[in-house]
Amino acid sequence: MPYIKEQRKETISVEADWDVGGSTTWKHSTLLREYAHGLKEKKIIGSLCPGCGKVIVPPRNICGRCHRKMDERVVVSDIGTVTCFVISAPVIKGKTKVMGMDPVEMGLVAEGERVISVYVKLDGADSNIDTELINCKPEEVHVGMRVKVVWAKEPQGKLSDLEAVEPLKD
Amino acid sequence: MRNVAIIGCGQTKHSGRRRDVNLAEMVGDAVWNALEDAQVSPQEVDAFTVGNMQGFGGVAQPEQWLGDWIGASGKPVLRITTGGSTGGSVAHGAYYAVASGLYDIAVATAWEKHSDSKEPGATTGLSHVALGNMLNLVNCGVGLKHLLSMFVVGAAAGVACYQAMYYMHRSGCRVEHLDMVAAKDRRNAAKNKYAHLQWPDCTPEDIAKTEWIAYPFRYGHVCPASDGASAMVLACEDIARKRCKKPAWIKGLAAYSDEENQIMSEGAGGIAILDASQQIGATMSAIKAYKMAGIKDPQKEIDLAEIYQPFPSQELLFAERLGLFDEGKAWQALEKGEMDINGRMPCDLSGGVNATNAIGSSALQRILECALQIMGKAEEHQVPKEVHNAVAHGWGGATNYITVTVLGDSPY
Amino acid sequence: MSSQSEIVLTKAPVPLVFGFQWSVGEMMEKFIKTLADKKILGAKCPQCGYVYVPPRWRCGKCYAKIEEGNLTELSGKGILLSYTTAYVELDGVGNFKELSEPKAIGAIKLESADSTIFMPLGEVKPGDLKEGMKVEVVWREEPKGELADIKYFRPVKG
Repeated sequence: MPYIKEQRKETISVEADWDVGGSTTWKHSTLLREYAHGLKEKKIIGSLCPGCGKVIVPPRNICGRCHRKMDERVVVSDIGTVTCFVISAPVIKGKTKVMGMDPVEMGLVAEGERVISVYVKLDGADSNIDTELINCKPEEVHVGMRVKVVWAKEPQGKLSDLEAVEPLKD
Repeated sequence: MRNVAIIGCGQTKHSGRRRDVNLAEMVGDAVWNALEDAQVSPQEVDAFTVGNMQGFGGVAQPEQWLGDWIGASGKPVLRITTGGSTGGSVAHGAYYAVASGLYDIAVATAWEKHSDSKEPGATTGLSHVALGNMLNLVNCGVGLKHLLSMFVVGAAAGVACYQAMYYMHRSGCRVEHLDMVAAKDRRNAAKNKYAHLQWPDCTPEDIAKTEWIAYPFRYGHVCPASDGASAMVLACEDIARKRCKKPAWIKGLAAYSDEENQIMSEGAGGIAILDASQQIGATMSAIKAYKMAGIKDPQKEIDLAEIYQPFPSQELLFAERLGLFDEGKAWQALEKGEMDINGRMPCDLSGGVNATNAIGSSALQRILECALQIMGKAEEHQVPKEVHNAVAHGWGGATNYITVTVLGDSPY
Repeated sequence: MSSQSEIVLTKAPVPLVFGFQWSVGEMMEKFIKTLADKKILGAKCPQCGYVYVPPRWRCGKCYAKIEEGNLTELSGKGILLSYTTAYVELDGVGNFKELSEPKAIGAIKLESADSTIFMPLGEVKPGDLKEGMKVEVVWREEPKGELADIKYFRPVKG
């Protein structure tokens, strides 16, 4: 490495572990659950703000812009536009590990595959969802391309029912 | 409200592993350097503001340990944490203390000691921040592939990746420009004896040789996780004029927070911010800070800037938000050399956050570096022109915290 | 339909432990390593004379710098300033665990030192503890240069 390196003394350490799993309980509202249940019927639910008219997907309690309560629900389309994309480096077996798991070994990603993560603004929504783009070469993805949701074969009311998006065929 | 100036600055050397000191010794180093630079004795200090992001170094309520190591015995201490902009908020806190008239001399110090966590880099701290949200996703049945793709793509850079893509799409900036910015920052850092990643003759081609993490970022673009501390002494006008040859006056400051730009997290549920590089908070903070400082045309009146840029795309887009370049044109100015030490708008002559990132300390260092330039104390990276006005910027959280500070060589 | 009134709780589904390793710095490292010689080091401030144990290189009273030359060896004997008895301890995940035997802990001012150290007390019944008692250090059989080399302090006999 061409960086200027400096060596400093390494003094001994006092060590301790924080057992997060054992000692912490998180509280959540039921909004994300509501959204997941809607996916069972292939319905993508958002909340509508009575003040500024924005539709936020997944739904939230309070509009971030005008701070009004968003109780009303709207179903948005499963077709939308890519507003942003990020492409991973090729995933190599044994090299890319996530939380101790090897994505190639688990059969989730092909060796050398580049994962494309996209932000999609579904028609009718005013916010992005983030998901994966499949059936598209990395060189062909672009901002503004039209995509359609790829649903799980048997939706179960889980977030994974909305598996990915793929390019919309004319 | 009184005028406030910075009369002394102190830093420790920032590096990947400062295992030669414990936390209190490290922060103490920075504070004593600052007190010596200001020629102020600890007994004369009236108040302290301190800050870091505790989850990263695993010490909760660190001010209890620091107390008599930084001269704070018997003095009021306020701990402030606002994500990446912690250092900026800590400096603002010290400013409020003195400007209000309650205290005459205040010390602001901020630091980070990443090497105290067993996981490399900032992993422990980042997990800290995202854990509750991740569990909610898991409990709602998020797909394993989706989780993994989120990690593979976003773990190192997170929302900054998407932010960079938005900016590049909007403005025409290309990856080559990110290479240029990263190379410039590491060359600049080589002239800053306290910086971490120092590469004296780094070229964009050197950066372009490093591997991709996730398009558009390469390993060569990303900031390090540094251990280090920095501190400043702030004083009221009377004391500054009597005791400091050339104080750096704080002419204007503002901090607008914005919505959190986290996708699929609890309650965030996708927010109505479609463009992660929009950063309304930065524009609004800049407008307010410039107004307070009496700056009407930042492009002409600001002499240099210290932008908070853990990623090179942020140096370009935030410089535009601060009004230093026309909308979408920063990358063209970069090509013309305007951001170099001899250019119209030198940016991050210290190397910025891209070369040194001790989270708490980094936003404070932006203000500190502007002060050094105004005081003429920046040594090897001193800009070769009179500095009348400088702007320092801080950014943090998930694109939601911003601090902007305008400094000058006179309070008016 | 107010979804705010419904709360869902989640815990980590897998063991999740974050580890920390705080570097102790040079003076503290010297203190810890010297325990292997059954010696307790203190540091005397050259300006105000306050003696710290464990040693530190900045005086917390007058803020003068303390150097290696100001290190001083302490006798290991001292006075019990105050004490308490613990009947439970924490189990690391937020619960109390009853101790099989109550543990006594004392605040001790070593001879020639000014600062106080907190140490376990042994070879004494909690009921027999008294403020002002003379105490002395009991070392581990085979000291290794670790904090645990100091087993506990016990009342001086006689």
